[in-house]
Amino acid sequence: MTDIVVTGLGITSALGVGADDNCTRLLDGRSGIGPMHILRSKHTHLPVGEVDCTNAELREMLFVEPDAAITRASLIGAAAMREALFSAGLLYKDRSLRVALVSGTTVGGMECSEQFYHDFLFTKEKNDYIELHDCGSSTDMIALAFPGQFDMVTTISTACSSAANALILGYNMLQMNRADVVVVGGSDCLSKFHLNGFKSLMILDDQPCRPFDKNRNGLNLGEGAAYLVLEREETARNRGISPLCVFSGYGNRCDAFHQTATSPDGEGAYLAMTEALRMAGLQPSDIDYVNAHGTGTINNDESEGKALMRVFGDKMPMVSSTKSYTGHTTGASGAVEAVISILALLHDFVPANLNFSEKMDSLTFKPVSKVKIGVELRHVLSNSFGFGGNDSSCIFSKIS
Amino acid sequence: MSIFIQGISQISIQQPLSEEWFDAPVIPHTIMSPSIDPDFGKYFSPMESRRMGVLIKRAIATSMDVMQKTGLNMPDAIIAGTGIGCIEPTEKFLTEMIENDEECLPPAAFSQSTHNTIAAQMALKLNCHGYNCTYAHRGTSFDSALFDAFLQFKLKKIESALVGSYDTMTENYFLMLSKLDYWKSDFCGIQQLRHSKSSGSISGSCSLSMMLSSLPSPQAWCELKDVEMFYRPTILQIKHNLNSILLRNELMLSDVDAVVMGWSGDRDNDDVYYELKEHCFKDVPLLWYKQLFGESFSASAFGTYVASVCLREGRIPKHLFFFPEDFEKVKNKPRNILVYNHFHDRDHSLILLSK
Amino acid sequence: MEHLIEELKKEIIEVLNLEEMTPADIDENAPLFGEGLGLDSIDALELIVLLEKNYGIKLQNANEGKEIFKSVRVMAEYIKEHRTK
Repeated sequence: MTDIVVTGLGITSALGVGADDNCTRLLDGRSGIGPMHILRSKHTHLPVGEVDCTNAELREMLFVEPDAAITRASLIGAAAMREALFSAGLLYKDRSLRVALVSGTTVGGMECSEQFYHDFLFTKEKNDYIELHDCGSSTDMIALAFPGQFDMVTTISTACSSAANALILGYNMLQMNRADVVVVGGSDCLSKFHLNGFKSLMILDDQPCRPFDKNRNGLNLGEGAAYLVLEREETARNRGISPLCVFSGYGNRCDAFHQTATSPDGEGAYLAMTEALRMAGLQPSDIDYVNAHGTGTINNDESEGKALMRVFGDKMPMVSSTKSYTGHTTGASGAVEAVISILALLHDFVPANLNFSEKMDSLTFKPVSKVKIGVELRHVLSNSFGFGGNDSSCIFSKIS
Repeated sequence: MSIFIQGISQISIQQPLSEEWFDAPVIPHTIMSPSIDPDFGKYFSPMESRRMGVLIKRAIATSMDVMQKTGLNMPDAIIAGTGIGCIEPTEKFLTEMIENDEECLPPAAFSQSTHNTIAAQMALKLNCHGYNCTYAHRGTSFDSALFDAFLQFKLKKIESALVGSYDTMTENYFLMLSKLDYWKSDFCGIQQLRHSKSSGSISGSCSLSMMLSSLPSPQAWCELKDVEMFYRPTILQIKHNLNSILLRNELMLSDVDAVVMGWSGDRDNDDVYYELKEHCFKDVPLLWYKQLFGESFSASAFGTYVASVCLREGRIPKHLFFFPEDFEKVKNKPRNILVYNHFHDRDHSLILLSK
Repeated sequence: MEHLIEELKKEIIEVLNLEEMTPADIDENAPLFGEGLGLDSIDALELIVLLEKNYGIKLQNANEGKEIFKSVRVMAEYIKEHRTK
């Protein structure tokens, strides 16, 4: 097996557009969660992690015509994609490279469908957004923003682990030599549909979320997109690009417990993490930092915490959930948090798990509650779990 | 490592959970022909199915059926394709959200609305903790799922996989897509779908589950030799991809007995296949299947299905030939069949199956 | 009270889509969750929506449901006391 390396990153989240802005705010401990400005929902009391740009601003930034039909999820995605391609030296495509795009999303074009649904059904004329409703079209629009760039495109939709699973397919494609470069990640924007959906499940906190806190009371939704450029180590070397880190292992396992609830002992999460460690050839003690799924719901943090205790025992690495900064970016979260994990690895810091005050009774460990700067990280593990028990873990390692 | 298709079960316009269509197809007479459902009672109790929409019921029925027929009950991986996911609960939640002004919404509908519900419900039913994934990429959702499985077999990560594709049509979604000219406005019978000069096709639903395994068995239908996907290729790139897939598998074009294509009766869709015939498959018999199974985001799964049944049966029935005169050309039992699919000339896929 | 219990049983069957069940099949004193009817957390959420929609009772978090949904009878008693419509 050859090493699969990460050679480029792009991120758009409530912490800003671009890795620099995101990194600065993580280091400063300034969350992006706040009152709703852009989403037009009546539940304005719910805090959210919005990308602080209107659609018009995003269009301008990306040179998209004001009247061209494109969803916010695709705009946010294209912004992250541009940064990822640029940072990997791929914005002007080398024709000899086979480049693939694997993107995750949960709700696709729902943010537009919910606005125009009446029009979709009852007006005679065709509404351009009908075509953009499904998940695949959301990825397609991102690919179309970079003409000629991609030789293969597909979309994964496994709820909140979608983007993590995109990383996994990308890895496998490279190992099988079905592409030279695979850009992997995901994009989701806020929609009234899933805000109300999570609200109906009574798992939204009307305060800023408190992952792994005894008094946690649910999650905050966020929006965002992130992409990672993956390639074989040899390809990067031949292109003269220095890798940022190694994507050294992954695990994808199913909790198979309940449609929305997670098992009390975190079986799926435990299996996903141990599989990732096995594949990376690492011991639990090699992991220096875990970027937890840590949504802040009663259920997730309990079961993820138990799974972490099963994997790491009494040698718990530093753990934090950065959803306290970005909100839960659903289909994009696997990539948003992979990028954050890699930024931590590159700059040797551990982002804080904000709003933590009291340890959970059932857990033996506390998350990192203040940013830690100047800690040497060798291997970081990022967890992403989705409804239906779709649990995935990815490990990133420093270039040795 | 070789990959064998051990069995496939489907629910569609055709007789469910059977290959009756091979010799006695149901001919679609309407633009939105319904699927024929089997008795679901033997697959789950009413309590179990209380929140299941028809799509989940069909997905579980075809999956249970194929597991029963192949005797493979615990796959290493469950991988699903679906273009629009569980559209019924999605529409229910969306409509209530709009009508009730974001108040008093049904949590069960939301919890069933995510695309991965289908594969997750299968895992739940089987208590299967293995790899689980769902692809939602329009007309190549199935192809993506199969591609994922293919790579994992080749990387020796799995030895068996349940791969399927699932989509159903609702009245609302049908209406929305009709505004995009997805359906024939003047449908008068499937003969109209051949060499059509107008836009649109006929709508169908798809629930298809396939069991793959790396262990050879006498009951295996055929071997899955290769899967390749590409985006917005030029005809030159298609030729190149075709050549490399043949080369990789040590075949010549003359070894290919037939190519199954997604001819649908939609002028723009079919133009791509005419072009392929001219540039890549001049003398190869071409087959079609959407006249029997209808068009949907999952329809391409039927292409692989039809090719697999032909290889299993060792013959190709006359009604599958897009150009009827090609029927005479196939003298021997088919050994290698290619399945070519594209969606809006953007996403293309090529699948190679062998006896 | 008995009338409300009957009414409630019908509503539960409808909202939870308990096909093939009649009000007579539900013992109003048996637990709705776990051993009794065998409902789960999503059913509980559906019942919370039922309380709000049909009786104007708004619960703040899902945990409050635990006491209320002990049985159909307990649920009816709670409704009788707290209903706003």
